[in-house]
Amino acid sequence: MSTIPQAALTEEVIEPPVPSQTPAPGKNKPAWMSLNFGPRMIVSLAIIITIALLAFLGPLIYPYGPGEKIGSLYDEPTAQHLLGTDNFGHDVISVLMFSTRNSLINGLMAGTLALLIGVTIGILAGYVGGWVEEALMGFTNIVVAIPNIIILILISMALQKTDIGFFKGIGGLAFVIGITAWPWTARAVRAQASSVATREHIDIAKLSGARTPSILVRDVLPYLASYVVMAWVLQLASAILAESTLSMLGLGPSGVDSLGMQLHWALAFQAVATGSWWAFLPPTIVLTLISFSLLYLQASLDEVFNPRLRRGKKKDLAKAAARRAKAARALAEQNTKVEVLS
Amino acid sequence: MGLRRYLARKTLWYLGALVAAVMLNFLLPRLIPGNPVDVIVSQLGQGGLSSEAQQRIYEDFTREFGLDKPMWQQFLTYVENIFRGDLGKSFAFYPTPVKSLIGQALPYTLALQIPAIFFGWIIGNVLGAIAAYKGGAWDKSVFTTSLLFSSAPYYCLSIILLYVFAVVLGIFPVGGAYSLGTTPTATFEFFADASQYYWLPFLSLLLINIGGQAVGMRSMAIYELGSDYVNYSRSLGIGDRKMTTYIFRNAMLPQITGLALSIGAMVGGALITELVFSYPGMGFLLFGAISSSDYSMIQAVTLIITTAVLVANYLVEVLYGFIDPRIRAAKSGEK
Amino acid sequence: MPEGQIVGLAGESGCGKTTLGNALALIANPPLYVIGGTMEIDGEVIDMTTLAKDSNHVHRPYRGATVSLLPQGAMNAISPTLKIKDLVHDVMAAHDKSVTKAEAMDRATDRLKMLSMPVRVLDSYAHQLSGGMKQRMVTVISTLLDPKLLIADEPTSALDVSSQKQLIEMLLAMVDMKIMRGVIFITHDLPVLSMVTDRLAIMYAGKIVENGRTEDLVHNARHPYTSALLSAVLDPTLETRTKHVLGIPGSPPNLGNPPTGCRFHPRCAFAMAECGTKEPPVLLEGNHEVACWWAEKNPDTTVPMEVTLA
Repeated sequence: MSTIPQAALTEEVIEPPVPSQTPAPGKNKPAWMSLNFGPRMIVSLAIIITIALLAFLGPLIYPYGPGEKIGSLYDEPTAQHLLGTDNFGHDVISVLMFSTRNSLINGLMAGTLALLIGVTIGILAGYVGGWVEEALMGFTNIVVAIPNIIILILISMALQKTDIGFFKGIGGLAFVIGITAWPWTARAVRAQASSVATREHIDIAKLSGARTPSILVRDVLPYLASYVVMAWVLQLASAILAESTLSMLGLGPSGVDSLGMQLHWALAFQAVATGSWWAFLPPTIVLTLISFSLLYLQASLDEVFNPRLRRGKKKDLAKAAARRAKAARALAEQNTKVEVLS
Repeated sequence: MGLRRYLARKTLWYLGALVAAVMLNFLLPRLIPGNPVDVIVSQLGQGGLSSEAQQRIYEDFTREFGLDKPMWQQFLTYVENIFRGDLGKSFAFYPTPVKSLIGQALPYTLALQIPAIFFGWIIGNVLGAIAAYKGGAWDKSVFTTSLLFSSAPYYCLSIILLYVFAVVLGIFPVGGAYSLGTTPTATFEFFADASQYYWLPFLSLLLINIGGQAVGMRSMAIYELGSDYVNYSRSLGIGDRKMTTYIFRNAMLPQITGLALSIGAMVGGALITELVFSYPGMGFLLFGAISSSDYSMIQAVTLIITTAVLVANYLVEVLYGFIDPRIRAAKSGEK
Repeated sequence: MPEGQIVGLAGESGCGKTTLGNALALIANPPLYVIGGTMEIDGEVIDMTTLAKDSNHVHRPYRGATVSLLPQGAMNAISPTLKIKDLVHDVMAAHDKSVTKAEAMDRATDRLKMLSMPVRVLDSYAHQLSGGMKQRMVTVISTLLDPKLLIADEPTSALDVSSQKQLIEMLLAMVDMKIMRGVIFITHDLPVLSMVTDRLAIMYAGKIVENGRTEDLVHNARHPYTSALLSAVLDPTLETRTKHVLGIPGSPPNLGNPPTGCRFHPRCAFAMAECGTKEPPVLLEGNHEVACWWAEKNPDTTVPMEVTLA
């Protein structure tokens, strides 16, 4: 979607100088056990999980509902209503929890749909090559070039006027985002798939008479697993942002709370100018946190899968070197010295 | 790949994209169930127009859209009108031509976006390269800050900046592009006044663009740091500063393509930034048009933005063809 | 290392040849650290350790001018956005700031003419040159400052046979012209080595196991690994054609956890009890060094090449 920093994707879009060696998941020993998960991943996962728990479990224990009118326009925070009321006089915390939940659900649906489309197109283009690749990637590049937000605005406007219920709800919005957000994934996956397609085990699979669909699923896809996981995380983030952007423009499904909708109303009712920070800061912060932690998660996954991106700490390296130096000296004292070159 | 072939391919792609965009623009309002003209006229009718006037407007619109003709003919009329520079009349501000409304909004958007994209790209790349080269605390702080700026939706940073600097601190005005009571003229006073309103939206766009570019540049430069030529140059005794320029030059090339790919996103995001600051550019216009179902205005704005983005993309890619020696050299034949 | 000679360094992949080469070229980069060792060239002693903070600074003036590296796979050794002549200038300016572009060009042109190579390559980008030409060009750049020692790290591995021949002839010519005073030639290609080198050092699992004059080593191998390596080479003479090619069973050990005692003993056909426990002694037999228990027990005997492995 439009607001995702697409430069963050370039390392995938442009084929890395050296194709990353992704180990295929082993049969007897789970490969992820040997991966090196860093603190970045833990931090970002913790943020996401906390937000999700609050969004899904919070409403069960919170005493006020999102549609309950408990005050008037922008009542200041009180002990009972920690974040005051919004422009409708609804409790902001309650609305925030429902909004977050809806945004997450929407992101999950749209992101997964976009991932499926993108991976399918990417694998087909990358593996089959030839005119199929040319055509699919030509199409993808056209979709990439047109600003995504424009397509989204046009399609969601058209859908809003339909009589089909599905398209008016949150599912319809997710569908629209899903069918427009896939090109990035397709590009990244194609680059990887075409490098996998030249590997020898693919030839062996062909020689042993495997059919193309089975090669794609069993011999190509496992090598792309790490990329697909990373792309999924990015798609989630971009879908959540796309939803909030559209809602903010007033193109979201009417009557459904979402983070973008909250901002839409806050802007429409002058929350910023009147200094009613409780009405616009909470959704802004939640949105930023969700998208930051998802991108941070993606970056840390990237470091796990592409060790070249990992930067060792100089301090640790010096320590390790000192340790080794000690061991080497001890060894040298035991043995006769071997002249390397005189 | 030779330069000529490269250019031909890019030209084809972008022509295709342009045609697709125009078709999309043409088709979607027509997919809306019910005749859009009915919707519009009934909207206008609420304004208390006489039925005779409504009838005239109805016929006017039907003719303008060519709704009485077959689809392909409508499309031809549409394309023909575009080429004549006729973007139709605004529904919401009938009968003001869309063109004149856009003419008022466009300068603000251009003044905001072009410097933000240009300086954001340069500063972001330098920062990213430094972060990759220095490593350690530098890398960590630049990377994390950049990611934070670039991952937050455009309007989130804008809202926070607006609140802190305009509402709480009162350093900048809250919204708009110039003070009430002044009219846009080419005088020094007007520019001085307008520049006060300019800084906040500009800075928020700039920060986000810097962040996005820095994140991309950092990864590219880290890849380059591990490459053979770095090792070899080191073995020849070439100094660190020189080597940084090598790395920068090579990491720059994908960043140029990266710029082409992200212009669309930058422009899209900036439209919403205008909304937050009530900055009277194209985004603000679009937002108003959406809330008043002003289809001809929406069509015109989306068409202009798409075309501008496609042209900008195309220019960047052409530039890339001339810069990358691997493409350019093939032109002058084998050596 | 004797002046004007070419010393070969051979061994299987992953035995540490390139690592040693990088350490000698003073470009060990984290996570690789040189813990200790000195290099003495013309009475000048260079401390090779890279643990100290300013080691990069200390080593930089020597790189390229005193020791120089001819890297493996010159394909990517030159930045793709750099013209050869710019690199030439940068290299010279790195050691003497006052060098102008024209001076650098002159020197490179002279050098190219000396080696009867086309001068126009200076004006090209790396990707415009063929593989062989690129490798020769890199060789010229590596030796531009007349380094005392050139470390040639598998310069021929990525080339076709005729380009290999051209490159080797050029290297030999350069040694004749006294452009560099000594070459360490790293490769796993034994036929090339036996053709080019004066001395040969065989490396196994990070250690030099045998070291001597090339002729001695080829005809009188004293270490079982040397002999196994030699026997793995096909030689199209009638004598060897009728023999069975012997490979070396097993694969090189993990250097993170090398075997105890002699590192080769798990794969050695002559292994004895002490091989597994004690590090072998270094025997000096004239000009010929070998580290092996078997060699100690069987002085003056060549390791038999054809041995049926039990």
